[in-house]
Amino acid sequence: MKGMGNHALINKGVNMKNKQLFALKLKRQLVWYSFIIVSILTLGILTYLPMLTTIKYSFHDTQVLGFGEEKFIGLLNYQKIVNNSSFLKSIANTFILAILGLASIPIGFVLASLINNIGKSKWQSLFRVGFYFPNIITGVSVVLIFQIVLKANGGLLNNALSLLTGQKVTIGWLSDSRFSHLGATILSVWGSMGYSMLINLASLQSIPSEIYEAAEVDGASGFKQWLYITIPQMTSCFVFLFITSFINGLARFSDLFIIGGNTSAGRPGGTLQTILMYIYQFSFETPQYGIASAGAMILFILTFTITMINLKLTGFFKKK
Amino acid sequence: MKAKKIRRAIIIVILLIVLCIILIPLVWSVILSFDRKALSSLPPFSLVPHEPSLFNYEVAFKTIPLVRYYLNTILVTALHTIIAVLFAMMCGYAFAKGNFWGKKFWFIFMLAVMMIPFESRMVPLYLQYKKWGLLDTYAPLLLGGFAYVYGIFFSKQNIEAIPDSLRESAYIDGASEWRIFFRIILPLSKPLIATLSILQILSNWNSYLWPLVVIRSAEKQLISVGVSVFNAQQDAIYYGPRMAVAVVSAIPLSIMFLFLQKYIVQSIAVSGIKQ
Repeated sequence: MKGMGNHALINKGVNMKNKQLFALKLKRQLVWYSFIIVSILTLGILTYLPMLTTIKYSFHDTQVLGFGEEKFIGLLNYQKIVNNSSFLKSIANTFILAILGLASIPIGFVLASLINNIGKSKWQSLFRVGFYFPNIITGVSVVLIFQIVLKANGGLLNNALSLLTGQKVTIGWLSDSRFSHLGATILSVWGSMGYSMLINLASLQSIPSEIYEAAEVDGASGFKQWLYITIPQMTSCFVFLFITSFINGLARFSDLFIIGGNTSAGRPGGTLQTILMYIYQFSFETPQYGIASAGAMILFILTFTITMINLKLTGFFKKK
Repeated sequence: MKAKKIRRAIIIVILLIVLCIILIPLVWSVILSFDRKALSSLPPFSLVPHEPSLFNYEVAFKTIPLVRYYLNTILVTALHTIIAVLFAMMCGYAFAKGNFWGKKFWFIFMLAVMMIPFESRMVPLYLQYKKWGLLDTYAPLLLGGFAYVYGIFFSKQNIEAIPDSLRESAYIDGASEWRIFFRIILPLSKPLIATLSILQILSNWNSYLWPLVVIRSAEKQLISVGVSVFNAQQDAIYYGPRMAVAVVSAIPLSIMFLFLQKYIVQSIAVSGIKQ
């Protein structure tokens, strides 16, 4: 009898201990969750939910939202949109502009190489800061300034070109549909080359100097060092800049919207309408959410594909 | 040795010339903004205003509520930055040092968001806020800050580097995780806080599309959208006042840059990401 009582007592004690341990464990869990729960909820409600809604809308006839039933129409929105010439044009515009915008990478690389060449000094920090400065200028100011710099009559660029060629140049860089892609690229490259220079420079300076010293001992010329050491070592930097620049290019909106006088028509002549401006047009100017959502899905798929290629190239999956 | 020095001097001269060319548009816009002659026609390029005056700035401040836009933008930028950085670091701490069920799942749950561009979920998000009656308030501009995904990822990497021994000794003293976070982790993460704040300020000051969509009343608008509306109304003329507006809206970040250039340049280079 006495032994059994003891046993029960011990059992009870173990149970209590287990319960306490469990409570403690649970408390620890809750403490950690208290750090992340707000962000989880935010992402759930403000990111995943709307994304799922986009997918849903893209398969529904939601011309007049909130009035009557939303009808499932399968791929009709997609069919409509890929047969729509102005959507196809907006995709073409987006890609042309994104590809032209890549010019900031070689420009940034050349600048970074020159700046790196002069060695760590006051000059180097001056150039680093100076060339980066345009990147810090508020986007809307850049557009306002370049609307004047690229003006057909009396604009800075045309004046400079007139001086160089000896003839009067009056190209409407932002008003003539034949030149608007170039004009919009000048504006964006001016703003982004400083960023490209900075990333290139950081990457150049992280190449271990021993490699160059060894090459010097072997008698490799400056050009050979550049070709066989610098370029291969810079590949991952180029890939990174290529991907970020391209993804930014796919989502280009603000500057072109402002150039078009705060409309999404892509003035001049629709040549500057990007995918996102097309989506905006069918969301807020002439609302047809089904069409807009199909467009948003196509933009998502494009961005997603490029991101996945990037992760594959940078070996993100291998590490995990 | 001498050849090398000459080469270096030549490179410096080339870079100086290129830098001047690149900065000319900025210089010219500042000069135009002080030029009384720049109103309905564009005066030729000069290094000093043809007729120096503050007229353009007067016109600018009279035509649009620039001060109001300024205050709105500063308020939104400051709040968003504080929220985003604090909550990103909280998550970063939990993922770096915490040990809880579903940690890996939630981390991927957050990282995956980086592949969903904001633009592809913008319309339903707008409709959600419409349903909640929150359009034309600052809620849509601020609430997203509670999940700053890039910041979470960056914080996790940085906080992981803080040695565990510091935490353990605080633990023994009976400190809670929250206390450790505020008393040990935050003070040790000043460079991290600086980097994330700089990235946040830059992107908030420039945000355009989302405020354009959710803010309807003119007096609540942020500077970028407000200025662009003004610009669209003036169409082709009014050069001087437009340049004055451009200068005014670019000034805060430029001044911040001049004072913090070393940190900003470093932050951008380290983070490798602008937005």
